[in-house]
Amino acid sequence: MSRREAAASAAPRPSGLAGMSLACRDVSFSYEEARAPIPALRDVSFVLPAGGSLALMGASGSGKSTLLQVIRGLDAPESGAVVLDGAAPVDVGYAARQREVGLVFQAPELQLFASTARDDVAFGPRRLGWPEDRVSTAVEEALDVVGLPPAHFAERHPYTLSGGEQRRLALAGVLAMRPRLLLLDEPFVSLDPGTRRQLVGILERLKAAGVTLLLATHDADLAWALCEELLVLREGRAAAAGAWDFSAAGGRLLAANRLREPFFVELWRRLGRDPQRAPRTAAAAAEDLS
Amino acid sequence: MKATIAQYYAGDSPLHRLDPRAKFVAVSALAVALFVRDSFAGLAVYAAAAVLAYVLSGVPPAWFWRAFRPLLWLVALTFVAQVVFAPGEPFFSFWFIHVSSRGLELAAFLSLRLVVLVLVGSVLTLTTPSMALTDGLAWLGRPLRRLRVPTDELALMVTIALRFIPTLLVELDTIMRAQRARGADFRRGGLRERTRSLVPVLVPLFVLSFRRADELALAMEARCYRPGAARTRLHPLHAGRADIALLVATAAVIVAGLLV
Repeated sequence: MSRREAAASAAPRPSGLAGMSLACRDVSFSYEEARAPIPALRDVSFVLPAGGSLALMGASGSGKSTLLQVIRGLDAPESGAVVLDGAAPVDVGYAARQREVGLVFQAPELQLFASTARDDVAFGPRRLGWPEDRVSTAVEEALDVVGLPPAHFAERHPYTLSGGEQRRLALAGVLAMRPRLLLLDEPFVSLDPGTRRQLVGILERLKAAGVTLLLATHDADLAWALCEELLVLREGRAAAAGAWDFSAAGGRLLAANRLREPFFVELWRRLGRDPQRAPRTAAAAAEDLS
Repeated sequence: MKATIAQYYAGDSPLHRLDPRAKFVAVSALAVALFVRDSFAGLAVYAAAAVLAYVLSGVPPAWFWRAFRPLLWLVALTFVAQVVFAPGEPFFSFWFIHVSSRGLELAAFLSLRLVVLVLVGSVLTLTTPSMALTDGLAWLGRPLRRLRVPTDELALMVTIALRFIPTLLVELDTIMRAQRARGADFRRGGLRERTRSLVPVLVPLFVLSFRRADELALAMEARCYRPGAARTRLHPLHAGRADIALLVATAAVIVAGLLV
């Protein structure tokens, strides 16, 4: 067992979360502007099975954040539908499923407001109307999962935490609501490598626990390491959806969208190996090469 | 959510190209004349001038309507207050309401005056970027510097404040979305509950604003900003023939309104 695996197994595991499946069917959305509406999403369709993981990539302004907000129900699609666990918006119980979709925004400073970390994380569970003992259990568990042990962090003021700690606290605030589908908007931006690795570990554990993951990111390496599938948005349209494709056509598609291949894929290509079977982590690469 | 406060309409009409100082002086003079003159005939002249200015501005009616809508209540209130409280022989009475023809006339006059005033003011703000307006005001306020009023600094403060209003609105929107994603509901509950739900929204907004103010001050110092130092402008104000024409035309309109 490697040191990292040991650390991962020592860390508390999120428990009892069964993933939620997600399907977008021809979702379109425009922002109302004074002169003319600006289309942000156009007929976006894809399927993400329960417990699956999907990387959402695309150039800045391609509609990634908008898509996440539409999936969470903060904006209603103009046409098309977001189907959660097979339930369409018109179905009974849709609102309850929507509450099981967690969305972590990019900037933690826009999400934290309470005077203690505990109160901040408790905000969501309290809005769900949970009894106070269940709230405090959920809060402590969430803080543990993101590596902010409550004994040390629960009473701290969120604004006294470091950038990486704030990011994890914001994640804890969403995890405390026990989401079955987790949407993350650029979670790795401006994190130092250590914190980034820590966050990857947290997401890996959530995946292992069965949570469905949708990750908007510019980081091809982390997207490849964490996500089985890829959705590329281009000017609001799904340019590619499904399995990663590293054929010549797939490479051109990535380049056309200001993206690049993951490091190990490029390495495998240069080694004359099948890029499609490139490893996702350094550990896997080392095992493969030795 | 979009900012409708900084309501400048980017266009290229003759009015857009005028010097902000000339526009400000013309609008101020017209506003004073509007309040001095108290006959329907005079008001009609000024209303015609305001409509002409509006047509020249090339701004779509929807934009005017948006600037105007919040003031409808004020106009309605003025009208009702005049009808109810104006003196004169009532031709219709109900309880404490006595409607006289004099009251109706006065109400119509004051409401119309308010409408024309808003129309004239909107032409100014819709055709002048806020930065140009503050620059113009700073220039017009120059004599006050003799009295040690820091007009340039005040103008800069206003410019910065205006500059960050849209930014703050976007951040406010994001904060509220983040909390809605965690189950907050800003539309439900009574007034007290709704007010209380705004506290968690305002906390991050204030924290961010203070941090940004700090960073902005540092960035300005790093770019050699010194309070009180003489500053040059990227776009110096130029008054030309068109601006003189505007002032002459405005003077003519004001005199015409006073004479009819």
